[in-house]
Amino acid sequence: MPSLRSIRGRIKSVKNTRQITKAMEMVASAKMRKAQARVRDTRPYAEKIRELMNRLSAIESHRPNPFFQVRPAATVGIILVSTDRGLCGPINANVFKMVTRFMAERPNVKFEFVVVGKKGQDFIRRGGYKAVGSVTGIKDRGQIEEILPATQVAIEEFTNGRWDEAWVFYTEFVSTLSQKARSEQLLPIVPEKGADGLKKPSPFLGEYLYEPDTAEILDVLIPRYFETLVFQRVMENFASEYSARMMAMRNATSNAKEVIYEMTLIYNKLRQAAITREISEIASGADAVQQG
Amino acid sequence: MAFMLSLLTQERVLVTEEVDFVKAKGVDGEFGVLTGHTPFISLLDPGELVVRKGETLYSYYVSGGVAEVLPKSMIVLANTVERADEIDTQLAQTARKNAEEALSKPISEAERRTYLLEIKRENVRLSIANRRHSSRHPGQISEE
Repeated sequence: MPSLRSIRGRIKSVKNTRQITKAMEMVASAKMRKAQARVRDTRPYAEKIRELMNRLSAIESHRPNPFFQVRPAATVGIILVSTDRGLCGPINANVFKMVTRFMAERPNVKFEFVVVGKKGQDFIRRGGYKAVGSVTGIKDRGQIEEILPATQVAIEEFTNGRWDEAWVFYTEFVSTLSQKARSEQLLPIVPEKGADGLKKPSPFLGEYLYEPDTAEILDVLIPRYFETLVFQRVMENFASEYSARMMAMRNATSNAKEVIYEMTLIYNKLRQAAITREISEIASGADAVQQG
Repeated sequence: MAFMLSLLTQERVLVTEEVDFVKAKGVDGEFGVLTGHTPFISLLDPGELVVRKGETLYSYYVSGGVAEVLPKSMIVLANTVERADEIDTQLAQTARKNAEEALSKPISEAERRTYLLEIKRENVRLSIANRRHSSRHPGQISEE
């Protein structure tokens, strides 16, 4: 049987924990709202530029451009988007699991990483993988410039022919209650396939007029496409991180409440038992005195 | 006949709605877009983007980007955009003055070019902002 004193101590420490998790929940929920708004603001551009690049990749005359050419994949580059901090539920672990599975499915391929976030760096170190670049400490209200070091490395690797494909792994923000690990091929740019594996009918299949000319437009569009998508995915990851953290902390808070309730019950029972015992001792003592 | 315009930057959505006419500044000159335009992609120069919806005109300052025109839609992927009423005229004026001052000193050719560009940019900004304050009718667009 635990002593009254030790239970009192434990109740106190759980109460402290509850206060911390409660505060973290509130901070995360405030940040979450902003991050969700940011996802809403950044999604349309990313989607439109993606659709545009997919349309352009379907045009025959663009094929010679290396960014549209599918090469046999000997080395695959992975941009791994993770969080800087923990205590945000399973979102990092889910992405890492997806990366591990992705690599297991391609046994003869070499993998290289560009990492965003400290948790991803830990993962790379643990697994002994090769990272060619990494960025940490990105701000959730950050500008696109902050991720440029990562995207520039990736584009360079692809242009030099060291990478044959570039993928991004991140956690997509679905809703406050749901975040989903996702993988996405960014380079080379290939025509989008529908769910049935067939080419999606594009709203427009002919040729465009270009001003000034195709090459110059692609030179501007391709880096922009790549940066924007990675940037947007980082923003998705932030919204996912805060949502997951808020839910994790909310659960922790309610668990703490439950523990406090149960321990208080035990504490009161013990206290009651002690009082009863004392009274009965006094009563039996008094009895003995009277009889004597 | 209206068509769908999306005016976007990487960080926000400015317009996604049906509009009747758009005028933009491409690298090879200004162009106007009506419904049924030939598929067309153009890089944009810093300049004004005018949107007409019904009888109302909206004006934006676009710092550059890409526009994709399809028969029933137009997408402007801009680097940065300011709505006419967001333009800070004072800031633009000081920026222009600073650039002009810098130009009067002896500087390298590359620097000279960036400052000249800066002045050009601020002039466009200011002209958009000033025009907003004068009275403006939808018919004015044809004169430009």
